[in-house]
This record gives sequence, structure tokens and C-alpha cells, in this order.
Amino acid sequence: MSQNVVVIGGGPAGIEASRRLRDLGYTPILIEKTPVLGGHLARWDRLFPEGIEARTVLDPMVADLDGIKYFTETEVSSINRLKDTWVVKLSNGLSAQVRAILLTTGFDLFKAEKKEEYGYGIYERVITNADLEDWFKSGAAPQFDAVNVIGFVHCVGSRDEKAGNRQCSKVCCVTAVKQACEIKEKFPDATVYCFYMDLRMFGRKYEDLYLKAQKDYGIRFVRGRVSEVSEDNDGHLFVKAEDTLFGKPLKIKMDLLVLMAGMAPAADNHQLARMVNIQTGEDGFYLPQSIIGSPCTSSREGIFFAGAATGPKTLPETLSEAASAALAIDRYLKTPQKK
Amino acid sequence: MIDFGYGLTPSSTLKIENVANPAFEELRQREPDVAKCIACGSCTASCSAGVFTEMSLRRVILSLQRGREKETLPMLQHCMLCGKCLLVCPRGINTRHLILSIGKVYKMEEDR
Amino acid sequence: MRERILAAYDPFVLPFVFGMTFVLAYCLIALVKVLLQLNAADRRKFALSLITPTTIVKNIRDIFCDCLLHVKLWKRNPVLGYMHSSIAFGWFMIIVIGHIETILYIPERLHRLYYPIFYRYFMEEQNTTLQGSFFFFLMDFFLLIILSGITIAIIKRFRSRIVGMRRTTKLTLTDRIGLYSLWAIFPLRWIAEGFTAGVAGGSFMTVPINWILHNFMSKPENITVAWWLYSIALGTFMTVLPFTRYMHIPSEILLVPMRNAGLPVRHTRKGFALTMLYSCPSCGVCIDACPMGVQKKNVKDATVYMVRNLKRRNQKRSLEIAEKCLMCGKCAALCQVQMDACGLRLAYRTAQEKKTNQIPADFSYLAAVEPIAPAVEPVALDDEKVLYYAGCMSSLTPVISRSVQKVLQSAGVRYELMDKDGSICCGRPLMLAGRQEEAQQLIAQNRKLIEASGARILLVSCAICYRIFKEHYALSGVQVWHYTEYFSRLIREGKLQLRNSHQTLVYHDPCDLGRGCGIYDAPRAALRTVGQLVPALKERKESICCGGSVGSLTLRYEDREPITRNAIDNLTANNPEAIVTACPLCLKTFGRFAPVPVFDFAQVLADNLE
Repeated sequence: MSQNVVVIGGGPAGIEASRRLRDLGYTPILIEKTPVLGGHLARWDRLFPEGIEARTVLDPMVADLDGIKYFTETEVSSINRLKDTWVVKLSNGLSAQVRAILLTTGFDLFKAEKKEEYGYGIYERVITNADLEDWFKSGAAPQFDAVNVIGFVHCVGSRDEKAGNRQCSKVCCVTAVKQACEIKEKFPDATVYCFYMDLRMFGRKYEDLYLKAQKDYGIRFVRGRVSEVSEDNDGHLFVKAEDTLFGKPLKIKMDLLVLMAGMAPAADNHQLARMVNIQTGEDGFYLPQSIIGSPCTSSREGIFFAGAATGPKTLPETLSEAASAALAIDRYLKTPQKK
Repeated sequence: MIDFGYGLTPSSTLKIENVANPAFEELRQREPDVAKCIACGSCTASCSAGVFTEMSLRRVILSLQRGREKETLPMLQHCMLCGKCLLVCPRGINTRHLILSIGKVYKMEEDR
Repeated sequence: MRERILAAYDPFVLPFVFGMTFVLAYCLIALVKVLLQLNAADRRKFALSLITPTTIVKNIRDIFCDCLLHVKLWKRNPVLGYMHSSIAFGWFMIIVIGHIETILYIPERLHRLYYPIFYRYFMEEQNTTLQGSFFFFLMDFFLLIILSGITIAIIKRFRSRIVGMRRTTKLTLTDRIGLYSLWAIFPLRWIAEGFTAGVAGGSFMTVPINWILHNFMSKPENITVAWWLYSIALGTFMTVLPFTRYMHIPSEILLVPMRNAGLPVRHTRKGFALTMLYSCPSCGVCIDACPMGVQKKNVKDATVYMVRNLKRRNQKRSLEIAEKCLMCGKCAALCQVQMDACGLRLAYRTAQEKKTNQIPADFSYLAAVEPIAPAVEPVALDDEKVLYYAGCMSSLTPVISRSVQKVLQSAGVRYELMDKDGSICCGRPLMLAGRQEEAQQLIAQNRKLIEASGARILLVSCAICYRIFKEHYALSGVQVWHYTEYFSRLIREGKLQLRNSHQTLVYHDPCDLGRGCGIYDAPRAALRTVGQLVPALKERKESICCGGSVGSLTLRYEDREPITRNAIDNLTANNPEAIVTACPLCLKTFGRFAPVPVFDFAQVLADNLE
């Protein structure tokens, strides 16, 4: 019988790593706490930079789970060390004894209502990037009378000490540009603004997307962080920011404001870290042995990481890290056990 | 000599390479947070005094860093110290103490 | 009773006489100095208060309750209360009874300073009378009380946790000398009186001593040695007293009437402030009270250290402490001598700003701020109309003004917004930064706007603004209401239909609202109608600052987090489902770290409107 490996977290990292491990001859046990596999990707409509549909990536992955035992709506109750193995007890009553555990717990979308000054949850016309994807995906747009001016607020809960997240979430800049173009397609007459602190277009074709947004879509980029949002009697928004390049404060009346909620460490990280006695960093993400040399190995034997559990990552980065993690686990399991 | 019509006028380039800025260093001693600014403009956008005046803390910080304080010090005269900038600053800069500290390190010119 | 030593003098009284004369002279000079340091207006105010009958009664009551009986301390910590009042009141009674005895039996000796103190040495008892035994009994009784207090004091010195104090101050050298001589006084008195109890008489404390040590005590040369030691202990204590924390004993007698006269703190170490500095008993209650104390590095920023550094004229440390303080006022609220800890710091900040600020304020632009209502002169006062001032901070917490408006609409109140398009700050942040005159300019402008609006009620949802509106605005014809009070009133008058969600709520007393303005009950009463209130560990007067206060000038963002977390732990001790506060700053600060939702007071009401 082939050896079991427990993979905690059924997002793209967990699914991809499980498939790789299966291909290497192991039997992965994939645990997902929500009812569906796919993580945040399952909720997303289209992916940057080229705008392909998220399901074209996810569906083939989910269709290829033969040889993988997976449990949805299942959580880890406890993990204990027994000699050189880990005993993992699950909330569904099952338990597994394995030599390797892979943590692919991903990230939590920052709760935008925590930035009260933006009025998410208070003002109807303030939504998040995830809400917008829901809208694109389902086609069920919220009913607003006229949507003529639309704003995107970058760095909501990212690069923000007050929100408890100092890190850059990496993907929001390009997501905002992608979504700005998409919404411009839906409302061709609308004026669309992106309020950014710095535009981080680091990946291949990201800069092209930015250029297209400027040139073809006429998106207006304002370098300045939105400081507060108020509302008039009709529910229209007043957005305040400074145009830092021009050096003047702005107050723009808007019909829709999209908050680019960033990546926050998963809330369960601390609990899992305590179970297996590993460290999380000051930022709340897991600490690998080396973020350059061995991003998938932890400080504890038999505990591995992949994906956004160790910090914000793009989808391709997550997928390739899942593959590396599978190889790292394979090498570990093939190393003769020390007596 | 032929007169080409050019005279000697002071250069408008910002000289930041060889300019010692001891006042800014002193300010940094008093309030190290001044170095943390990422110029996002949140402070300026939310500023209570900024509704009525030119006050922009972001510009003040930048001009101090560049040794061009004369241009922006008068802005600080309008500050009500209300603390909104303290709340919105994503870097957690102690803006109120920074403003108070600037007043201790830099001196307004009398004739302004 | 008759005189035993006919000379009515013995050299052993000299140490006491010296100490007593010294301390009296010292206090007299200090009194004159303090009075001279007051400005003319304050001096007149003080003098006037001393002849006002109500203040006289209050002064006597306060001196009796605070300085002798330590009523406040009793309420807070009965063991410490007993310890202090037994020594203070017991000693006071012994002195009083000594004088009564002298007056009764040998009034011609009263003018001798030492006579009532060493009465037992100079007098002898010929026959047992009921009156005599009564005084003997009283003297021994109070001696016993004092000795019990001293015993607790000694235990406390070595094991402060036993009496419920986590942290206390370290004593200086003179404090130690004072302390040990104080400890020695009463046991020595007991022994000295025990010696003379054979001839001079005694009661249940002194007679047994005399009886037990009969052989040793009957030797006359030992008698004077004991009385010498007693006098030396007294003399030492009196002589070092002005240089120790025990200076608070005489200072407090001046502090009480000065405080009752309502004098402001105008300087950091002159006049009223000087009295206050010397009234600090260095007890260290403020150390445990200070919310910054969660971090060990801030322990030395408590008020007791502020006082010490001011006394020693350590400018650097005084400034650091003055600027760091959150101005939450908890130490002052718990202080046994009601030290105006915030006032002292504010005086320091003000002096510092005056001296060092080189960028003078210019608020001339405020004159152009548009009035709220069209300025039709004269504005008709409108009894019903409410003017709502949300304040600067509230524009970052839109839920507050939205909820307030929802509640007002539901109650059918006519209102107008004062600061919809930007507002003039209330001025308190400037004041807290030591810029008093600048703050007055903002106050003047706001006052103009408010009075021009015609509204009779100014509704405020920010605790910080509310306090300054109450204390410094002196609005004519306009009542200032905090929304917790105003909404409670609406509920009482039946104008708000609310349902009870039975959600368990804990209420956080914002510093400026609770300790600052004494509003504790109105918010609680209102919250009980919409939910179930659970208590926090420390609340009301002892509520812990959220850590976001604009009162602190230098406290860094990262050093505020532990304060906030500690305050949240305090609030969530009884597992409430939500935290409710009534100040935008607390709301924002708690919101960052709280494990449960943090609601604004108005939000909870608005969410439960029928």
C-alpha cells in the first residue's frame, strides 16, 4: 500500500500538490474546511493578465482527483507527534498516521469592513474586489440607477500597519487594473479611476495590461491613497484622496467604489502552527526554513508548505510551489529513517 | 566676446546630492517616524485644515527631506492637531508629534 | 494626678523640641512661599474660599476624611485603609488626648510644646480615679491601634502583594530614615510609658509591660534611656520629614482647601502645583493604575515619578513623562490626594510649547468657514432644533454619524449637521498638545458658528469634543449633550421604540466621557434596553484607556498596541458578544485588535430600532 501524506487546505496549492504527490506514488489525504475545493480561485471569474476564465484552470484540476482521498467540510482536530510520524485527527472522526504533512492553508481575504473609513458594509455602493468577481461570474449586477463614475481603491488592508498587514499583497494592483478594464467594458461611458500608492506590475504581461488600461480603456490613474468616503442623501459617494503627483487633495463624487481587499494570513494559521509546533512570522504567515533556498520546508521534520500560506503569491507561483513541495516531500520520505 | 544672449541665472534643479541636511537629521532624532513616509497622501486628503487651506503634511515631509522647508513651513501654521492624519497613516507615523517636533527644529521666517 | 518632675523639664525632650520647631518653621516658610507664588487672582479666590461657610465645612470634612480617616483608601483597599487611618487617626487622637489631659490637670504647662507629648513622664498618679483610668485606657487603646497599623506597614514593606499592591515605589535614603524612625516611635513610646506605668499609671498595654519587666524597669537610670530613645525617634522623624514623602502629611492640610477653592494648575512647580507635588505620598497607586504599565519600560512614567522628577528639577525626564502620558486620568481618579496629574503634565506641555515652538499658528482662515444656517440676523432660537457635531474623528467612522441620524429621525427630532463639509476641530487636541491660546481661537470660531445656528441643543458623539465643549465653551443659550445622555433621555421620554436583542454587551467607558465628565450611567441605562450588559473587570472610574488617546504626544503606534490588547482583555473577561463604546477613537482603536465586534453606542440603538 502506498504511503499517505496529509495535505491541509483544498485550494489550488493543495489540489495541485496532491495531484503531484499521487503522480509520485503516494496517497494524499486532502482536507478542506469549506464545502468546495478550489479556495478563492473557485470564486473568481477571470484571471490576470490575459483574462482567461478561472474555471479553465480549476476545472481540469478538480476533475483529476483519482487516487486522492479528499474530505470537504472537514477540519483538523488535533495533530500529535508519535515517534517519527504525525497522527492527524479530523473533525469527521477519521485519523491518519503519516510522516509528512503539507500545509496549503492559503490566505484570508482582508475584511474590508475593518477599514471603517471606506464604509464597506455601511454604504451600499462600496463593494470589494471579491464582490465584483461574484457579480461578473453570476452576471447578477447590483441595481444602481446610474453608474458613471467608478473608483478602485488599491491596498485595502495591504501595506497598512493600522490594519495589521504591513505586507504588499502583490496581486491587487494587477487585479485592480484587470477589473477596471472589465468594468469599463460593462459601462463603456463610465469614468474609471484607480487610486494607488505604487503600481506594482512585476509579472510577465502585467505591464502590457497596464498599458492597455491606459491606452485602450482610458482608465485614470491617481497616485494617492483614499483616506475617507462619505455619502450623500441619495447614496452617492464622496471619495477623498490626495493627487500626490499634482499635489492637491481631491474629492470626487462616485457611483461605485471597489475596494481591493488584500491578502491577510489565514486565521487558522496560529492554531495549526501550535499543533505542530512551528513558527509564524510577525506578519502571521508561516516561516519556511529559507524564503529563497527552501520555501517549502518548515523548521519541523515532516511539515511542509506551499502557496500563500507563507505569504502573498500569484496563482502561477502557487502552482509551481505546490510542485516543488511535492518533490521536497518525496525526497524526505525516500530518505532512510533515522533510528 | 560675442553675446549669445544668455545670462547667469540660478539653476532650477533640485540639488539633493551634496546638500547636508542637519536640520532634517535633528528632526529624525526627535521623531524617527519622519523617515517612514511613503507619500501616499492619506494625511493630506483627510486633513481638517486641508479643507480650507493648502496644508499638506505629505508635502511638508518631502520638502524637509529635500532641504526646501521654506516652501512648506507656513502650511503648518494652519494645523489644528486634530489627529485625523494620525489615524489614517498606513505607516503608523506619529504625525502629531512630528508636527510638534518640526516646530522645535525649524524656524519660520519672521517676515512671512 | 500631680506633677512628678517639678522642673517640668528634662534634657531628653530636646531632640523632639528641635525636630518639632524645625518642621513647623519649614512648613511656615513653605506656606508663605506657596501663597506668594499664587497670582493675585488665585490668591484672592483662595482667601475668599477660606471664609465661605460651605467651603469651610467642606474643608474640615475633607481634611478629616482624607487626611485622618483615609475614607477613599478604605473603599479601595480596606487593609491599606486601616493601616493608614490607624496610624494617622491614632496618632492624632494621642496628641489630642495628651492635650486634653494637660488642659484638665495642669493647664499652666500647656505652653510647653513637649509637655502634652511626654505627659506620662512628667506626671504621676496618686490614686486611681475613674477619669484617670478612662484616659489611661484611651491612650493605650489608640497606642494599640497605631501599633497594629505599624505592624501591617512593616509586613507591607516586605510583601506588598499581601496588601494587594502589585507594584510600589522604591524608597529614597531619606524616605528610609523617615520610615524607620516612624516605625520606631510607637514601640519606643510603649516601652517608655511601660517604664513609668509603675508610678505614672497606665492601662492594658503599658501596665503588663511594667509588670513583666518589673526588675529591669524599676531601675531609674533605664527610665530616662527609654524616654530619650522615644524623643530621638520623634525628633529624627520630624527633622527628616520635609525631605521625605511624609511631607505629604502637612502638605495635604494646605492642599485640601486649595483644591476646594478651585485653583487651576498654572505652573509645574509653583503655587498650587508645589503644594500638590509635596502632597504626593509616593504610595504608588498610580503605578498600577497607569495603562502604559503593561509594558515594563513605561512603568517609570507613572505620576509618582513625574512628581519625583519635578521635585528634583530633572527637566529631561519630566518632559518625557509629561509628553508620553495618555491623559486618561485614571491615576488622578484613584489618587489618594487627588493629584491633578493631567493638569501638571498639561502645565508642563504648555510651558514647553511656549518656549520652543517656532512656527506660530495662523487660524485666520477659520473666519471664512460658512455658518451652518443662513445667517439671517437675528437668528431665532429654536428650542426643538438639534445641532449635531460629529467631530473630526467621526468622518473616519461613518457608522457613528449615520446611526446617530437614524436614531434622531426615528425619534422625530429636527436636526442639522454642523460639520458635513469639514469642521473646525473642537480644540481639545491642541490643548492637550500644550497650545492653549491657539485652542482658544478654535473655540471662539466654533462658538460663533454654534450660536449663529439658532439651535438650543448641541449634540456631540465624540467624548473628546464633548469634554471641551462642556469645560471650555461656555455657550450661551445652548445646552451641550453627549449622545449617550440625549438618547437615554429620548428612551425615557418614550420617543424611541427599541427591541431587546438579548445580545451580551460590555460597555467601555471612554476616558473623557467617564472620568472626564462623570457620565457612566446614561449609556448603560440605554444599552440595557437593547441588550444584556455584562461587566468588565475594571470599569467606570477604573476603566482602562483604549490606548488610542490623542493625549499622548510621543507614544508610538507599536507601543499603543499592548495597551489596547490589555484593555480588550479587561473588557472581554466575561465573554460578551460585542464591545460597545461611545467615542470614535476608542471604536477605531479597539476595532483593530478586538476578537469580538466593536460597536458604537448609537449603532447598537440604530440596529435595534423597532
